[in-house]
Amino acid sequence: MTVLRVEKVKKSFRGEMSLAKREVLHGVSLHLSSGEIMGFLGPNGAGKTTTIKIMLGLTRPDSGEVRILERPAGDRSAMARVGYLPENPYFYPHLSLDEFLGFCGQMSGMGREGMQRRISEVIELVGLIQHRGQRIKGFSKGMLQRAGLAQAILHKPDLLILDEPFSGLDPLGRVMVRDLLLEMKRRGTTIFFSSHILPDMETLCDRTCIIREGVIVRHLGLDELIRLGEGKIEVTARGCGDDAVEAVREYIESRSDTGDETFLVVKKQEFLRTVMQVLYNHGSEILRVVTKHPTLEEVFLSEISGRRKNKGAGGSKRESAVSRKGVRAR
Amino acid sequence: MKSISSIALNTFRESIREKLMVIALFFGALLFASSYILSPLAVGARAKIVLDVGLAAVSLLGILTTIMIGSTLLHKEVDRRAIYMVLTRPVSRLEYLIGKFWGILLAVAGVVAVMTAVMVLMLMLGKVALRPVVFMALYLTLLEIAVVCSIVVFFSTFTTPVLTSFFSVCLVVAGSLSGDLKVFAEKFGGAVTRRIVDALYYMLPNLKVFNLRHEAVHDLPYRAGDLWLVTLYAAVYCGVVIYIAHLIFKRRDFA
Repeated sequence: MTVLRVEKVKKSFRGEMSLAKREVLHGVSLHLSSGEIMGFLGPNGAGKTTTIKIMLGLTRPDSGEVRILERPAGDRSAMARVGYLPENPYFYPHLSLDEFLGFCGQMSGMGREGMQRRISEVIELVGLIQHRGQRIKGFSKGMLQRAGLAQAILHKPDLLILDEPFSGLDPLGRVMVRDLLLEMKRRGTTIFFSSHILPDMETLCDRTCIIREGVIVRHLGLDELIRLGEGKIEVTARGCGDDAVEAVREYIESRSDTGDETFLVVKKQEFLRTVMQVLYNHGSEILRVVTKHPTLEEVFLSEISGRRKNKGAGGSKRESAVSRKGVRAR
Repeated sequence: MKSISSIALNTFRESIREKLMVIALFFGALLFASSYILSPLAVGARAKIVLDVGLAAVSLLGILTTIMIGSTLLHKEVDRRAIYMVLTRPVSRLEYLIGKFWGILLAVAGVVAVMTAVMVLMLMLGKVALRPVVFMALYLTLLEIAVVCSIVVFFSTFTTPVLTSFFSVCLVVAGSLSGDLKVFAEKFGGAVTRRIVDALYYMLPNLKVFNLRHEAVHDLPYRAGDLWLVTLYAAVYCGVVIYIAHLIFKRRDFA
């Protein structure tokens, strides 16, 4: 079942000082199936938050369609099953955490009976049990983020939309959020989140969607990410001198050194035996042989640097973005 | 209904923690005190002066507090994005506005209640008999505040706090004079002027109908049955204004 469907969404905004509209989303499309975790990746100003706001009915698209849980964006029955954490959340500072979550529960149509128990449960889950009676006014950024997560999961939503959930969290907080999201996925919750913290995204996501300048430039599944590096093998060797590296130069793609270890990325699987033989003959000690696949960070950076090169080539922003969309979006 | 009452209660909580409330109460006390200072000037009319100044103070401070609180509350929520917490739940924008309206009204009603208690205490200390018409006047003042509150909510859906305050004050002044304006146009205006003034007369809130202070001070007769008509007028006016505000607010993008 498709839980979230965004079809060819376009959005433009008027500049503060001009009447002319500037298009910020150029036909964004993405689909999210039940039980999946999708990461939404893009540099600042790429259109991530605008897309999320359109999904939630906070902003209307100029054209295109958004359906959440098979209902139009902002539909009342759908919103009862959606949890949302905004970027840099701001909550009512005059309320205590308990009062705030009570307010959110009432807004979500939760019954009074089960609500108090559930509030205690989520406060414990996000690690704010000692602060439940404290006014939100005195919360740090990390605590606000945790409180935001608590209100998003309070009513056990079927779809969780999180805008930068790791922002402002310390390493312990990040681990907590990561574990919490994995637990929610295990229970069948579908999760869509934007983040800049790529290792976390790589750990969590079934699929990643990269947006740049209002265009979805890449959809990437976890299996696809692994396949991207198929055939590339990294050999780690000790005592590998320049002469040894020179001897295998034509078979390797790159070389890097850390301490007394040398890392060699072999161009093709069939070169591995030769490379190992040559290194062995030169007296090197083979420590590890691993299949190498690019990290999400590398894919993301290559997408972004690709864009910069395009810009450097003289194409206009819009033309370039559209042409890339034509080639890569799916 | 549940979400409206939750929003109203939250708005009420937020409003009563505003410093403005304390300031309003302070000025209220100051006005009551001034009525005591003025009363020796009118021999034998001490009770009337206390009542007159007291009722006027309740009305004036009630309206000003409504404008000051109402004009900033909604804007603050949008500006700081706290509104996302509400609108991304199964709550319609109309429910949100109605909740805000009731929350502000409840908070200002609290101020009115405190000021009324002080006024009643002062009158009782002066051994002045409290007639029902005094309470009718206070009830109508609350209705007047409700109408002003709906106007403030209306402007705050699309403009800044400063402009909301300005437009609201303008409408309150115009609404207090609309009856006089109509009479003036009928006497001296041409056909076109009369039509324009007629249109304005029905569009602007007729705040004069909520003013029963004269009757309360001078113990003049007032038909209790008229209260129903005025209540109906206030309810319809507030309903229409909030609904128009909703039509604007539902088109608003939270970018």
